[in-house]
Amino acid sequence: MGTVTSPTAAPAPARLDRARGWLLPAVPLERVAVFRVLVYLFVPLDVLLLHTIGDTRSAANADLYSPLLVGRLLHLPVPTEALVLVCKWGAALLALAALSGRAPRLLGTAVLLLWAEYQVVAFSYGKVDHDRFAFLVALAVLPTVGRARLRGGGPSEAAGWALRTVQLAVVATYFYAAWAKVRFGGWEWVNSATLARAVDRRGTVLSEWMLDVPWTLHAGQWVIVAFELLSPVVLFVGPRWRARIVAFFLAFHIATYAGTSIFFWPHTLCLAAFLPLERLAPRLDAVVRRARGRVAGGRPAWTSR
Amino acid sequence: MDLPLTRRALLWRGVALAAVTAGAAYGSLRGVDDHWPFAPMSQFAFRTDPDGEVRAAFVMAVDARGDRRELALTNETVGMNRAEVEGQLEGFRSRPERLAALADAWAALHPDRPRLVRVELLERVTRMRGGRLLDPVQEPVAAWGAP
Repeated sequence: MGTVTSPTAAPAPARLDRARGWLLPAVPLERVAVFRVLVYLFVPLDVLLLHTIGDTRSAANADLYSPLLVGRLLHLPVPTEALVLVCKWGAALLALAALSGRAPRLLGTAVLLLWAEYQVVAFSYGKVDHDRFAFLVALAVLPTVGRARLRGGGPSEAAGWALRTVQLAVVATYFYAAWAKVRFGGWEWVNSATLARAVDRRGTVLSEWMLDVPWTLHAGQWVIVAFELLSPVVLFVGPRWRARIVAFFLAFHIATYAGTSIFFWPHTLCLAAFLPLERLAPRLDAVVRRARGRVAGGRPAWTSR
Repeated sequence: MDLPLTRRALLWRGVALAAVTAGAAYGSLRGVDDHWPFAPMSQFAFRTDPDGEVRAAFVMAVDARGDRRELALTNETVGMNRAEVEGQLEGFRSRPERLAALADAWAALHPDRPRLVRVELLERVTRMRGGRLLDPVQEPVAAWGAP
């Protein structure tokens, strides 16, 4: 990214500085490097194992294809087996290539486009999932950081902006989820039987008992709306409370999984954008070097700089 | 070192962030699923009346050997999952022949299993009283038989 700014620029008002410090905090490049490893490791996991519903699309009759607006605007083709395979394996393999940190803009953009098209295919048959917004944003902003190594990066506003953007997308997912409940269900949503319906349809041994104790599900609905509406707080607290709130978010997703076997994988991964990931960088760097050393023919990794 | 960003770098980041924020806000205020990724975050946003009912679609299928059984609605069985079938429920009701697509998908995904000659789409309807579930009943939605 560009590195120059005029040293003679007049000092900006303190408030503008504060806003800049919030939206573009200078965070260690190692933090975004670790986040990038997590994201690009997750892409193959997602398209090959967790969310493969694009695969069977070509088997489904084209009659059932009802493309999303973005598909119609861009004239995306009716999914064929070849298209699905290219998106799926292309995203997986290029994400693995992007793990190396080489050509971060080119590879990152390619992964973004292939992964996004795979989602559009998956979502063009009557249902859209809502756990993928933050991850899509993460894939979009990672290439903008450019080079970021696991060692020796220094502070970067580009890295800070990218991670802040992912954080905003995570919070938007929660906050707008509460908004959608009010929009579609009304404020009375909290007193509805929506969770009872969810457990009836998708319950597990860990949740089905709650159908016989309806107040537990009722209370759960209040908790969900309250935490979703309050989620923006996580953007404004210090590191200790941030970690606590992120732990709460994670606990919520684990509880959802236990009760309905729904897990918001890509969204949950994006919670990492709130954490001081650079602490993992040295260990991750050692792993990468050892692996590279092995690939380079058994030479000790530390000589292969 | 990457500090601080140039004005140009700042500007396009600001514009991009504002555009995506506006898109997400529009999606939540006015949008529908069709606008993904700027769709409302409507997972479980719909209100279920504690004295209303819970509906869940399911499919009974008869194969070429005459076996009739419930077919799990997943992408592995018929190329669509339950929520997606439910998303198109009215389409199946008005044009039951569309159920042939499920039989086709089954055949494509299970080439060595008997083909489906009849597909019945039904709903399991469970009434509730005060948020407590009563015994479910079944309601037919649409049926298709191989010509």
